[in-house]
Amino acid sequence: MTEGQPGPAHGRDTHADELGVLLTRVARGDLAAYEAVYDRTAGQVLGIVLAVLRDPAQSEEVAQEVLLDVWRSASRFDADRGSAGAWLATLAHRRAVDRVRSEQKAAEREMRVASSTVAYDEVTEAVEARLDRERVRRCLSSLTELQRESVTLAYYGGYTYREVADLLGVAVGTVKTRMRDGLIRLRDCLGVDA
Amino acid sequence: MRLRGSDPHTLAGAYAMDAVDEPDRVRFERHLAGCEPCRQEVRGLREATAALAAATAVRPPAALRDATLRAAGQTRQMPAAPAGRPGPNRRRRLVLGLTAGAAAVVVAAAVVVGVSASGMQGRLDQAQQHDHAVASVLSAPDATMLSGPVRTGGTATVVMSHRERALVFTAADLRGLPSAKRYELWLMGPSGDRPAGMVTASPHGGMAGPMVVSGLLAGDSVGLTVEPASGSHQPTAPPVLMISLG
Repeated sequence: MTEGQPGPAHGRDTHADELGVLLTRVARGDLAAYEAVYDRTAGQVLGIVLAVLRDPAQSEEVAQEVLLDVWRSASRFDADRGSAGAWLATLAHRRAVDRVRSEQKAAEREMRVASSTVAYDEVTEAVEARLDRERVRRCLSSLTELQRESVTLAYYGGYTYREVADLLGVAVGTVKTRMRDGLIRLRDCLGVDA
Repeated sequence: MRLRGSDPHTLAGAYAMDAVDEPDRVRFERHLAGCEPCRQEVRGLREATAALAAATAVRPPAALRDATLRAAGQTRQMPAAPAGRPGPNRRRRLVLGLTAGAAAVVVAAAVVVGVSASGMQGRLDQAQQHDHAVASVLSAPDATMLSGPVRTGGTATVVMSHRERALVFTAADLRGLPSAKRYELWLMGPSGDRPAGMVTASPHGGMAGPMVVSGLLAGDSVGLTVEPASGSHQPTAPPVLMISLG
């Protein structure tokens, strides 16, 4: 793969293994391995942070924090607990979500929650522009509407399930269930079970 | 909140997408620690979210690459071996020896999340203060993770920082005790044995802690004993766990 290009979503298995091996080298302080990890993952890290935060300058800053975190905490990666790709995506997504939630004042957030249809359209629009991976799009479209909305708002919008319930005007318990069912269906459709 | 008491398992999807607030996350991770099928499910769902993340990949600016690689060259990795201690091999083994549950809780506790619009400010503030204490140990540049088996069952994990003079203690799968007994944590060293708090073992063999212990002195070890439920001023039984903090 050439430097700086987004990693392909297909052929994940070999990539995942290579990435895991690279991470164990990074954990030993191997800077060359870190460079390789950077080249494989920076596009994805920045992509997911950007999807959640939307602001490019802030997203680059957070993406850099995440990528540095990969350097610092590579020893915490444990292949028994999931793929290297999932570990990285979790680091990046969690950091982006933490940033969103810590920066938003409670009042602002309440306002966001109040404007429900706008929020969903905004999130999907921002995401669809980048959601060019055909397989993921196809699998997302195989979900029920409520599953898809719940998953999209939670993952790309960075909302908690309680906020998603408010946004969609649906009971909290229903949203929890839809998120789980939706992700299970997505996992099966993508064929990525751990 | 009645819903908080409902089947925790349904939270797996929201949890895998980080769509939970901090109290939910801590509670669900406790549940995860004692539920292997749940851990497996979360693992699978995380792979699905990784595909969602991959679908958003963009071409990062070259400046980000330069800045990040340069910063990495100047950033200390964790767990860092303190000066004059044997190299990273021993550390790595210790880290890999961690149970998945212990690692999950320690890491989760380190993540401090902003308070969303809810009426739980007071409780969250308290939780956040605790999280801050945990986070300041975990993020210390000299933070070191040590792990050891508890003689009567279970695994204890300690993250300590000499700089912060503090440590974070967690234990997984401690054996349940009769109601008249409880585990007590100690700092044991040249300056004597000091009680460091009572440890409550979850009845379902899940996670205990994270507990923050401050006032760490040179030469201390962490010890765990079984004591009367009210606690003791000095250990009254041989430790079921000793971890030398070096």
